[in-house]
Amino acid sequence: MVKVTINGKEVEVESGTTILHAAEKAGFPIPTFCYNPRMDPAGSCRICAVELEDSKRTVMGCITAVSDGMKVLTESAKVHDARKTNLELLLLHHPLDCPVCDCGGECPLQNMSFSYGASDSRFESHRNDEPEDLKSDVLVFNSNRCILCGKCVRICDEIQDVHAIGFINRGFDTIIGPPLGKKLDCEFCGDCLEVCPTGAITDRFVRYQFRPWQMEKTETTCTACGSGCRMLVDTESEAIVRISSKEGLGPNEGSICVVGRFGFNYVQNKERLDKVYFKKAQRLVPGKWQEIMPKIADRLRGIVAGGSGRVAGLLSSRVPLEDAFLFQRFIRQTLRSNFIDSGARRGLMNLALPLAKATGSLRPLVDHKDIEAANVIVVLGGDPAAESNITGLAIKKAVRKNKANLYLVHGHDVSISTRAKEVIRTLPGAEADFLRLLRKSLASGGTLDIASKDAFVAMGASLEGIERLIADLGAAKKVVFVTGRRFHGSDTGLEASEELLRLLSEKGWFASEGSGLFPLTELGNDMGVLMMGGSSEWLPGLLEVSNAENRKVWETHWGTQLEASGGGIREILAGIESGKIKALITMGENPFEYIPDTALLRETLSKLELLVVIDHRQSDIADLAHFLLPSATAFERGGHVVSAEGFVQPIAPSMAYWGDSLPEAEIIFQLSRHMGAALPFDDFSAITREIFRIFPDLSPSTRNASHFQGGTGEILLAITKTQPPHKAHRESVVAKVGEWMKSAPSASSESAARLPVPEDAFVLQLSKSINHSGTFTIQDASLMTIEGEGLLRVPRQWARKRKLKKGSCVRVRTAHGEASLPVDPVAGLSDREVHFPIHFADERIQALFGKGFSWNSRSGVPSGQSITVTLEPVL
Amino acid sequence: MLKKFLNTILFSEIGQGLKLTFRHMFLRKITVQYPKEKLVLADGYRGFIVHRRYDNGVERCVGCDLCEAICPAKAIRVVSDIHPEVPDRRYAKEYTLDFTRCVFCGYCVVACPVNALSMTKEFAHSSFTRDGLIYSKEQMLALGDRSGNDSDAYLKVRNMWDAEDSGKDEGRYHFPPITLGG
Repeated sequence: MVKVTINGKEVEVESGTTILHAAEKAGFPIPTFCYNPRMDPAGSCRICAVELEDSKRTVMGCITAVSDGMKVLTESAKVHDARKTNLELLLLHHPLDCPVCDCGGECPLQNMSFSYGASDSRFESHRNDEPEDLKSDVLVFNSNRCILCGKCVRICDEIQDVHAIGFINRGFDTIIGPPLGKKLDCEFCGDCLEVCPTGAITDRFVRYQFRPWQMEKTETTCTACGSGCRMLVDTESEAIVRISSKEGLGPNEGSICVVGRFGFNYVQNKERLDKVYFKKAQRLVPGKWQEIMPKIADRLRGIVAGGSGRVAGLLSSRVPLEDAFLFQRFIRQTLRSNFIDSGARRGLMNLALPLAKATGSLRPLVDHKDIEAANVIVVLGGDPAAESNITGLAIKKAVRKNKANLYLVHGHDVSISTRAKEVIRTLPGAEADFLRLLRKSLASGGTLDIASKDAFVAMGASLEGIERLIADLGAAKKVVFVTGRRFHGSDTGLEASEELLRLLSEKGWFASEGSGLFPLTELGNDMGVLMMGGSSEWLPGLLEVSNAENRKVWETHWGTQLEASGGGIREILAGIESGKIKALITMGENPFEYIPDTALLRETLSKLELLVVIDHRQSDIADLAHFLLPSATAFERGGHVVSAEGFVQPIAPSMAYWGDSLPEAEIIFQLSRHMGAALPFDDFSAITREIFRIFPDLSPSTRNASHFQGGTGEILLAITKTQPPHKAHRESVVAKVGEWMKSAPSASSESAARLPVPEDAFVLQLSKSINHSGTFTIQDASLMTIEGEGLLRVPRQWARKRKLKKGSCVRVRTAHGEASLPVDPVAGLSDREVHFPIHFADERIQALFGKGFSWNSRSGVPSGQSITVTLEPVL
Repeated sequence: MLKKFLNTILFSEIGQGLKLTFRHMFLRKITVQYPKEKLVLADGYRGFIVHRRYDNGVERCVGCDLCEAICPAKAIRVVSDIHPEVPDRRYAKEYTLDFTRCVFCGYCVVACPVNALSMTKEFAHSSFTRDGLIYSKEQMLALGDRSGNDSDAYLKVRNMWDAEDSGKDEGRYHFPPITLGG
């Protein structure tokens, strides 16, 4: 600790602290341009100049460490003069075109000039007048306005690890931009846009369309993926103009990915549903809420009167906790059925089932801070940058700052591969085998026997990589496993998850601080929807439906009888087929997205007596609906969502309901009222209160707040037994996992089914693109500008041999059908894999899968993520 | 008593009043026979606000919204966008000035960085409807074209002619006129 005097006030700080931080602690903030708390200081803007009383000289506050007895003046006349002169030097070539600059009004350079009175420069020079770089469709680079603080370059290097832009030329000619004068080609996160202190980098989508002072800012949570990014929605007269952020905001600390920042236009797309529709003579015709709701209620009442289990519900896992809670209660209590499922089934269920059994919770024992501090990070079947961007940033930070050893067990290179110590390529479906062999090898002291070696080679993995992984895992203290969509959605996902839990338990990684498992949740509220009972397996609070004691808890609370039998999407479809289920209500969920056999699905759904679709857009299932009810989106209604880290964060509405649309909860309220069985909530906030009363440890928290403490439920004391032990309750998790290990079925020694790969064939894998999320973003004009077409990603060397360029077509054949798809040759794919973005998986792709899809027999998760194909260039 | 009686019967107050009236009959006439005769207004007169053009006929307005921001009566509404023909230029896609709200304070003219706005000696625009007094940019440009040199004179007398040099390389705000059609 050293003592420094700042403006006469003495403070004690750690040695090595910069003057900037010491002054902040003393209560004298120092102005900065190029400083950003997340990045290494650069000291390039020279605005943080401070005076040292003894030596009478000015030094830069952000890069100078304090020494004992240092006396610093931050507001002296000399400091003011220095800052003003620095500003004048910065303004030397600045064009001062503030009136037309999009940054004008929120520009730190403008504000600083205003406060130091340097509105122009005393120095004589020319104004820069270079044309703007308009090559990119996303960002505009204006080198004239740039003050070369380097923040954009540094955030791209240090935080995003993308290295897309850099300094070009030297001296006065220095500009910032993509290399070699090319078009910007990056992840388009827009962080450079956010940190730029001038208008040198501006957003092209809303170029010249706004002024900062006209906009209202609403802080909300992004639901595109499970990262739970906090962001600011800037609206002008209730229309969303752009999405921005603020340094240090939320768990994302101010970074937002491309989907979060640019993917909001779908909510104000002119083609969005704005009316209530009902089917009349095979066509959907517009109607009115007050006429349609009693009709639906009548028909539902008629169906429910015939017996229990005749109605099924499908729920999107992007909806807030409140909607999920209300929806499952409506299905379970009012409609007396346990046929309920959500999007979390395909996203997380394979892992969630064993995880909840083993630990009693879905919340991970590690968060981003632990990932950043880990020694070894193993990413299993996932692309963190695309699936959960902020987790990707945490991994990159761990490698960069903490020299963590990153291993990627995946079929192909992803953006973090360059940072990985080893990329271990495996075939789709080989995850369970891989983990079983890994566990065996680790248990036998890290040696590979010949059988294991052969097995690893058979699944396409390299032996050196495995050996290094085993050595590192044996030596590491903090190990974090990150699982992605390829892992969760794999045909053997459930078995692989069990293997993984067993591995973690055997090696004691559940018990050791800073180690654990971190699933990447693909949709905004996967975890929350499951916690609220959005699946047939669990009642709210992850209480198993099959257990009569658990049912009793909610039966007494709700004063009703709960159905024990029921099922997920597989059982729902079978029930409709057999005629047992007569009605289906979907809330934002579209099974056409993940059941490849669309012809059969269409046939099955057309057998329904009543299909009510609550959604905000037109889709395949909406065409089949008897009643199509427009719903509000995350930008129009409130609620709470649970992020992948386990944080509960609020969503705040920022615009008015689109057309006639209503929030999902309101639709359910109306339906239950019309059915004469109103649920005991008078409004939305009543559900919120109810949820937080029953689950006090779910109350919203932020990154800085302490973790959820497993508090006692006010009324449902039984729940506390199964309530999530969290970070603070590691011991109870370990004890629980120990019990699970004893009771769990021993691992089947035989390899689970996986795709055989003939020599001349490829495995077509549906993967998530970084620029899209689900299928709703293909209705977003901005994201479609960035990636507007589904291209089949093929290995570059293969394409080169056949002289295929980007955009040329290949004929893709499977046992079920064939399609012609444009290709995109990329480096870093394994020789035997091709990829297609799932967002664009339309009829062409579904034809390829045809009837060749199956269900995981234990978890009921549909397969259909990968299939063997043969490719043939179209001449 | 007698004086009061005489004042009453001789209507002396009327006499006093008429004295003033008769005196004015011989003074210089001030009343103008509007609309047959019109006063010469000073250059700084704050009449109707108009849009101005560059010498090559291109509108000056860059759609910066500063007039909207400063307007105390919230009479101005600007919707800016990218210029349809020049992708790196900003322009006002829609510009409306509600003269029923305008208080003719002249702040917008001061705020304008490119001298696109000025005030004229025009004060007699009228309409049978309220909407008729909500002027679009095109109407304001037409009004500016009609007003001749009045708008220039206003800027000169109000010491706002500096920004007129903006076409030069070293101007305070460098927004040279757009040249269209190559």
